[in-house]
Amino acid sequence: MRIVGSKRQRIVVVFLCAQAYGLSGCTTTANQDLSVSEVDPYENINRKVYAFNMTVDEYVAEPVAKAYKTVTPDVVQTGVNNFFGNLKTINTVINDVLQGKFQQSAEDSGRFLVNSTMGLGGLLDIAADMGLEHHEEDFDQTFAVWGVPQGSYLMLPFLGPSTTRGIPGAVLDTAANPATYVGMPVQALQVLEVVNARANADGALKFIDEAALDPYVFTRESYLQWRNNLINDGNVEIDDDLNEALLDFDEALFDEVSDAETEPEGSLDNIKPIPVEDASEAVKAQSIPNQEF
Amino acid sequence: MPEISVFGVFMYQSLIINKISVLFLLFLLSLTEVYAEDILSAREVVENFQAELLDVMKNGKELGYEGRFDKLEKPVSESHDLNMIARVVVGREWENMSSDQQEKFVEVFSRFSVAAYAHNFKEYSGESFKFESEEETGRGGVIVHTYLVIPDDKDVKFDYMLKKKGNGWRIINIIANGVSDLALRRSEYSSILKRDGYEMLIEKISEKIDLYSKQ
Repeated sequence: MRIVGSKRQRIVVVFLCAQAYGLSGCTTTANQDLSVSEVDPYENINRKVYAFNMTVDEYVAEPVAKAYKTVTPDVVQTGVNNFFGNLKTINTVINDVLQGKFQQSAEDSGRFLVNSTMGLGGLLDIAADMGLEHHEEDFDQTFAVWGVPQGSYLMLPFLGPSTTRGIPGAVLDTAANPATYVGMPVQALQVLEVVNARANADGALKFIDEAALDPYVFTRESYLQWRNNLINDGNVEIDDDLNEALLDFDEALFDEVSDAETEPEGSLDNIKPIPVEDASEAVKAQSIPNQEF
Repeated sequence: MPEISVFGVFMYQSLIINKISVLFLLFLLSLTEVYAEDILSAREVVENFQAELLDVMKNGKELGYEGRFDKLEKPVSESHDLNMIARVVVGREWENMSSDQQEKFVEVFSRFSVAAYAHNFKEYSGESFKFESEEETGRGGVIVHTYLVIPDDKDVKFDYMLKKKGNGWRIINIIANGVSDLALRRSEYSSILKRDGYEMLIEKISEKIDLYSKQ
């Protein structure tokens, strides 16, 4: 936890925690027969929503995105991307501050000012050329930094993957986006943003289609890992589950080694004691479950 | 016949010397081999592999899928600990498999890994890999941080997790932009094993290999 500021923040956190637990509590009794993952207790429902989303994508989003890509020149696509990206920078700055990243909040404010003026209202990303990188921060990440648990994985109709923590996060993100309050022309353009986002995701979706044995699980895992990576600001963090797997593997190997060494039957001389180094390694490994690797 | 015996002794001696020198040479050779294997650091294992990948990408079109597969098979299996990866990926289900099933799974999984490389690294447009840093983790692991530099695009972060096997380093996981391949596969495979069983998993992987070979 990096920052827990005023009392009000604490109250917000407590409220959100309660909400997260409440939400995950009320339907945990749903059939768990086939769900394998702890983060995904509603797998059966989620899979249905995922199938629905993929159908919508196949018949609506993909064709529209394709048409948009062929009809619209690259300059316009980048312009749309930049314009809405720039409006979101306000949200980024707010969350920089809430997470105590003051240096980054100054940089992002600079980005917003430069692009809103010299960048013609955000159509051009001049700040990037000046070395002011784009950062991705939002309320879901802020909550995570404050220690709010992620909750369950949720597949939302039309909107795609999220988590229990992600929903209030997304609501606040929308509230902090000026595009929400501006009148008609910009709001109509927001449809363009969605289409634009779908067009940009084309490669990724094709990759999932090609690489995944189970596209639903593949999407879930890559989404959760990607969000975690954003929360940790790109620092590699091996998740506990994988840690355990690697430990299991080490133990299995260790068993095999000691099996192999005690296997040759016959004279007692052949039975060697377990090498001390290996034994201490294994004990160490078991006693520090959260260590990396 | 003293002359002959002298000659004989000389012959004998030179033979021994030859033998010794040959033995010595062999010894030296074996030494350098061991030495060479030993000094291949984690970073070198990764960089050698990346060099092979780039090489295959550059000749991707002429090689075709088959050519890329054949060319990558050795580098992939030598730089990756495919046995370990296959085993971690199925998690606890490993123990429920018969030894035949385990063997078959490792074999199919290894083929799938090479096929995925052969399929995804098929063309070259100026990409390069850039080493960033090397980091030791607990319990004998190393993470090599690198970037895939794509012209006119954002760099992709490639973090390689390596572990020592014998006296060489082997890749056990690749984390691309924070997404761990090992964790991803693990959730996927254990889910399929639990929902559909072993045979279905093998079938699904084989289907993918087929698909990769056709594109």
